[in-house]
Amino acid sequence: MKIAFAKPALPTEGALVVSVLADGVLSPTAAAIDAQTGGLIARAIAASRFEGKKDQTLLLLTPHGLEVSRLLLVGLGKPDEIDALTAEAFGGAVVAQLQAAGDTLVTVAVDNVSGASVFAADLAAHIGYGAKLRSYRFDKYRTTEKKDEKPSVKKVVITLDDHSDAKREYALLQSVAEGVFLTRDLASEPANVIFPASLAAQASALTEHGLEVEVLGEKQMRKLGMGALLGVGQGSECESQMVVLRWNGAEDKSAAPIAFVGKGVTFDSGGISIKPAAGMEDMKWDMGGAAVVIGLMKALALRKARVNVVGVVGLVENMPSGTAQRPGDVVTSMSGQTIEVINTDAEGRLVLADALWYTQGQFKPKIMVDLATLTGAIIISLGDAYAGLFSNDDDLANQLLAAGKGVGEQVWRMPLGEPYDKQIKSDIADMKNTGGREGGSITAAMFLKRFVNDVKWAHLDIAGVTWAKKDGPVTPKGATAFGVRLLDRLVAENYEQK
Amino acid sequence: MLKVDFAAAAAGAQALAVGVRPGGVLGAAAQAVNTDGILTRALATLKGFKGEDEETLSVFTADGLRVLVGLGDGDEDDDEDEPEALRLRRIGGSLFIDLADSGIDHLTVALDLPAELAAELAYGMRLRAWRPAARYQSKPDPDEAWTLTAATIVTDDPTAAAAHYARLDAVAEGAALARDLVVAPANELTPPAFVERVKMLESLGVAVEVLDAGRACLTLLQAVGQGSQHPPCLVVLRWTGGKPGAAPLAFVGKGITFDTGGLSIKDDEDMDEMKGDMAGAAAVVGTLHALASRKARVNAVGVLAIAENMPSGRSLRPGDVLRSYAGLTVEVVDTDAEGRLVLADALAYTAATLAPRVMIDLATLTGAVEETLGRHRAGLFCADDTLADALFAAGEAEDEALWRLPLTDRYDEALKSLAADLRNCSWDDDAPDALHAARFLQHFVPEGLPWAHLDIAGTSEQEEDGPLAAEGPKGFGVRLLDRLVADAFEE
Repeated sequence: MKIAFAKPALPTEGALVVSVLADGVLSPTAAAIDAQTGGLIARAIAASRFEGKKDQTLLLLTPHGLEVSRLLLVGLGKPDEIDALTAEAFGGAVVAQLQAAGDTLVTVAVDNVSGASVFAADLAAHIGYGAKLRSYRFDKYRTTEKKDEKPSVKKVVITLDDHSDAKREYALLQSVAEGVFLTRDLASEPANVIFPASLAAQASALTEHGLEVEVLGEKQMRKLGMGALLGVGQGSECESQMVVLRWNGAEDKSAAPIAFVGKGVTFDSGGISIKPAAGMEDMKWDMGGAAVVIGLMKALALRKARVNVVGVVGLVENMPSGTAQRPGDVVTSMSGQTIEVINTDAEGRLVLADALWYTQGQFKPKIMVDLATLTGAIIISLGDAYAGLFSNDDDLANQLLAAGKGVGEQVWRMPLGEPYDKQIKSDIADMKNTGGREGGSITAAMFLKRFVNDVKWAHLDIAGVTWAKKDGPVTPKGATAFGVRLLDRLVAENYEQK
Repeated sequence: MLKVDFAAAAAGAQALAVGVRPGGVLGAAAQAVNTDGILTRALATLKGFKGEDEETLSVFTADGLRVLVGLGDGDEDDDEDEPEALRLRRIGGSLFIDLADSGIDHLTVALDLPAELAAELAYGMRLRAWRPAARYQSKPDPDEAWTLTAATIVTDDPTAAAAHYARLDAVAEGAALARDLVVAPANELTPPAFVERVKMLESLGVAVEVLDAGRACLTLLQAVGQGSQHPPCLVVLRWTGGKPGAAPLAFVGKGITFDTGGLSIKDDEDMDEMKGDMAGAAAVVGTLHALASRKARVNAVGVLAIAENMPSGRSLRPGDVLRSYAGLTVEVVDTDAEGRLVLADALAYTAATLAPRVMIDLATLTGAVEETLGRHRAGLFCADDTLADALFAAGEAEDEALWRLPLTDRYDEALKSLAADLRNCSWDDDAPDALHAARFLQHFVPEGLPWAHLDIAGTSEQEEDGPLAAEGPKGFGVRLLDRLVADAFEE
């Protein structure tokens, strides 16, 4: 679906979208159309429950007096509450309503809203962004889907006076959207398609956008002593990989980078501590953290972010087999610390342990943020409304909280602390890889913390937010790419040269 | 029970504890009894003793028993934020338990402490010196009997220390009462027996009112208790230490004397600790006891929702719809999510009839909070930042730590019912039930009333011995609320 911006002009085909403010106050374009059609919009509002509240819509078919096939009214709510997220939800609502309605062209008329803190150009750009994000569809394996079940909309034209400003702003957002789409694709792909080597190949393809990509195989990782990561992959036929993606967009190419680290378990059967059959198919997206890092790196490269960034993803497949890791095995991590593997299904932290250690030692980053679909406990803790945020640094944590609010990918800070660390003491090794049911996400974070030195670090447990069971405002059901927009904002607000 | 007094000198003590810092640095009192360098020699011989917090070493000398007490140096990386008072409580608690069954009955403690910290040390000893009433054992093992029953703490201003300790002792008494109530088996502490126990607060000047749940239109409370042979009730405790007529602070406690789960019966493993499902109410009773004993200058009410949740021929059934005290209808999809039902009525009743300025409830409410925060922090749900910050600070100061969790309408979908205004929980096993429960309760609290909900399911009891309590009930909430009152609300 293409998003375009143009001068205001009433369309002669397709669907037309106009906005209505709280209490049924018509936007200028809506008022003009109302006048032109002899009060059509006012009558429709009076006859319905539509009041112009945020997220409300009212669809009028073949509106009398207009050449378009559909007129969609979308509520913007109260002017002083309108922000970028309102606009994105607006764009999302347009796509949700019209995507499969039959029209190929949608025109969205955007007006300046007096009393709003955002200008028409921002509104328009974010409406386009919301529409783009909501239009995502993973349908490459649907071979028998009928044409009338497929989306019909090919183009969304957003009309306003400042259309060139909006276009410029949208270009940046579109880069992020492309990163989001890559992440969603990678997370949606089944595990027979996305396995460590094929995921590494997908990451390597990003060199076309100016990223430097390096792939480490098992031999190199063994040399580096990554016993924790390698232990997880040893039951699989697929060779484990570690991929390093670098984007050097700062003026000083040698300035310390910021680092993002992702858990990439391309399929997590649980290993010998095998999971129950019900729901195991979800484990194809246990590489959600790695997918976010890869999508984020693409977004930053596309929008030529003025910052040095390194992305590191540890890619393994966790399978039961004759060569698989056993519960009770002791592995030696790259840090030299030994780990007793109590449960082979607590494997994400083993992968991250080596990935984090490698990243901080190799790249001396300013900050290090990891993302992982790490624990079931975080789902019971926070549901799907927030990702869990764990950090050893209040400033970084606050930056992430603010970025999350700004883009609508909310995080909730969770505690770290010495008492929780006691739960992962092992009888025979330096630590064990599970701390029991109580505070399960916190003990996982404490495990990771043992592999983090003095660097400012944050860990995002995204197990509850990576896959949506129902449609959200700008996220269709399925892979959400939660984290790409959040971290892009984190970089833009705090770490990029202005 | 430990009797504590304070003195200016350690003269003639048979059993004497003295302080040592890391590196074998003896405190002043230790040097005074280092006759012929005996303590120095003992330290040189026993290299395992580092002088860290909570370490003790007993040395027998011609003058009597000398106990070297590690004092640490106060700036270890791990605990750099720990207040000194908390550190001394821990040291006191560990010292008590190390010597509790040693055969000595009186210990003099000379750690060269100023008055307030001497009192804090004694407080730690006093808190650790609680254990369940002897009547629960018919043949106590004499080897496990505690001989240590009295301690004299040496400090330069014994009068000031005693005054500070008197206040702490009142709180320790309240915490001990809360522990007594939690540890009492459910065949002893039935709803009527709980009410009888609570009436003893009348002797401290606390007014006790008992309301029949049915007659008071507390339909949810009545329904949860209807399966039991013991009728449920709401108890209102009033302490009027502040200006007459001033709006009180309200503490509301979940008091399920035993929770079988009802018809949605628990499996045996989950049922094991359910005599403690009244720990929220116990903490409220303990807090009121503490406030009254120390004559706190504040008006406070304690509200206890007391019921026993049993399966029987007249139990509440899954699917039943009830009209709550507040008027909202509730579909009970799981009779084991009963705590939020009794609290809903108790909160609505408290807000409507007692006109509190602030309302705080405590409840062993969800297993989910244990999975979320483990046993080291209780869940804090509060829409009022000022109250939340005050509670968080009190928790840090008293080592009854809290962590704020989201209270938001983003979970409302999960509480929608086809049959009523609300259902009492979601069906999904993976649901964030602690958050759902908190949001459920919020529907019964009038907007504008500062309210906090503390989910103490993970923190009310501990599975191993700690410095201030043995394995078992901690009396969690008493110290926290007492501190909150003292720091934020007392005249």
